[in-house]
Amino acid sequence: MFKHIVVANDGSVSGFKALTMACELAKHHHSSLHMISVEELPDFPASIDEIVEAKAEENHKFHDVLEQARKIAKAKGINLKAEVVAGHAAASIVERVKAMKADLLIIGFTGHSPLYERIIGGTADRLVRLSACPVLVVK
Amino acid sequence: MMENIWLASALWIGLALASALISIRLALSVALIEIMVGAIGGNLIGMPLTPWVNYLAGLGAILLTFLAGAEVDMAVVRRNFGASVGIGFVSFLIPYVGCMLAARYLLGWDWPQAQIAGISLSTTSVAVVYAVMVETGLNKTELGKIILAACFITDLGTVLALGIVFANFTAWLLAFAAAMLVAAWLLPKFAPWYFAKVGRRVSEPDIKFLLLVLFALGGFATMVGSEAVLPAYVIGMALAPAFQHDPELPHRMRTIAFAILTPFYFLKAGSLVEAMALISGAVLITLFLGLKMATKFVGILPLTYFYKFDKREGMYTTLLMSTGLTFGSISALYGLTNHIIDQEQYTILLTAVIGSAVVPTVIAQKWFLPKVGLAKQEV
Repeated sequence: MFKHIVVANDGSVSGFKALTMACELAKHHHSSLHMISVEELPDFPASIDEIVEAKAEENHKFHDVLEQARKIAKAKGINLKAEVVAGHAAASIVERVKAMKADLLIIGFTGHSPLYERIIGGTADRLVRLSACPVLVVK
Repeated sequence: MMENIWLASALWIGLALASALISIRLALSVALIEIMVGAIGGNLIGMPLTPWVNYLAGLGAILLTFLAGAEVDMAVVRRNFGASVGIGFVSFLIPYVGCMLAARYLLGWDWPQAQIAGISLSTTSVAVVYAVMVETGLNKTELGKIILAACFITDLGTVLALGIVFANFTAWLLAFAAAMLVAAWLLPKFAPWYFAKVGRRVSEPDIKFLLLVLFALGGFATMVGSEAVLPAYVIGMALAPAFQHDPELPHRMRTIAFAILTPFYFLKAGSLVEAMALISGAVLITLFLGLKMATKFVGILPLTYFYKFDKREGMYTTLLMSTGLTFGSISALYGLTNHIIDQEQYTILLTAVIGSAVVPTVIAQKWFLPKVGLAKQEV
């Protein structure tokens, strides 16, 4: 049913829950599995160093995330293709899902406070709304 | 409460901390959040600007400018000299002249006030441009390098204008210019030797030496009616190659600046925004923002065709060069601090500057992103 599954992983507990679920589904459906992680850099910075520093920190974080993700996928017998892009989480994931012509996007859910959800909104909400393919939200 | 220096410090640092936490949560620049928090604080609770706050804010602006100068990659400028100097110079000149004339003849501002409007809106934000290019991977392309180099040239134009336009044209100004140029010539030779000699110590003799140079030249600049940010940028530029070779020292300076100094600068910049002027001046804010973008288009877009950029790249370059933040706010605050513009005019100019950090960036990203796609990051 699903030929090409994309999982978004921000390195959080729910991100890895989504990856585990994605591995199971990929195995069941004999699908290819692609993991995307997004480095979020500050918008409208006052100095280049702000970006350089944020990027170095994100690189360090996602180095560990990629290693752990590959271990999980290997244990499940899945060949995981993983990539890290920089930008806004929702916009970047939507763009990549569209470019890869994915059949299914799997994401984790990290709840925020009701006020934050109302004013700013969560990434999961935006992905459900904007994704070009069906979205599975793992809680 | 404000007579109590420690409670006043707690208020300022508390707001700086809140700004830092909000900026992390929203993935927005801390500078932008500090300006907004400052504006809310200034209008709701009042934030008296004591001499020590002004001192810390002023030092923050000097260090911010010095560090911006230290980010200039002269090798990139040299490699793309024609395009970057051409685009960068026009990107400063046309908005400066256009916005100044509009402020003078359309709005009836005095000449000095119109000058401040022109200078504030002539800027380009190197950092905003760099952030956008890292996301798209353009920073590694030839186009990206030309844009970045052009931004440095525009900033140099802005800083020079701010330092020269209001100066007293006497023999002392020439003496100051000579002192600054001699320092800029000698420091790249002397400073690396000195830094190696004193080494890295807890007493930070390297940072103290740089502060001594910045304070002395800044003091000289102020004496001749110029502005301390001018020598700060020039000295930063002169030391940029040494800092690129050994980035540890500017990194330590940046830590000090962003922890304790620039929050005072950006919070102060925000606290001087008048809420009522924001509402009553909405039309003027839009006008200035539109003028800044229009004049950037008039100057830069034809040049991008001259340098054989394709249409999409030309639009993208022009929009990115229309951004502004740090130098725009420094120029506007200079005008207010020196009683050249009033608080209403300051509010209008600062808000237009902040708008220029956001509006062109969003348009460029949404509709004119050159076809390089999202950059895969090496981790």
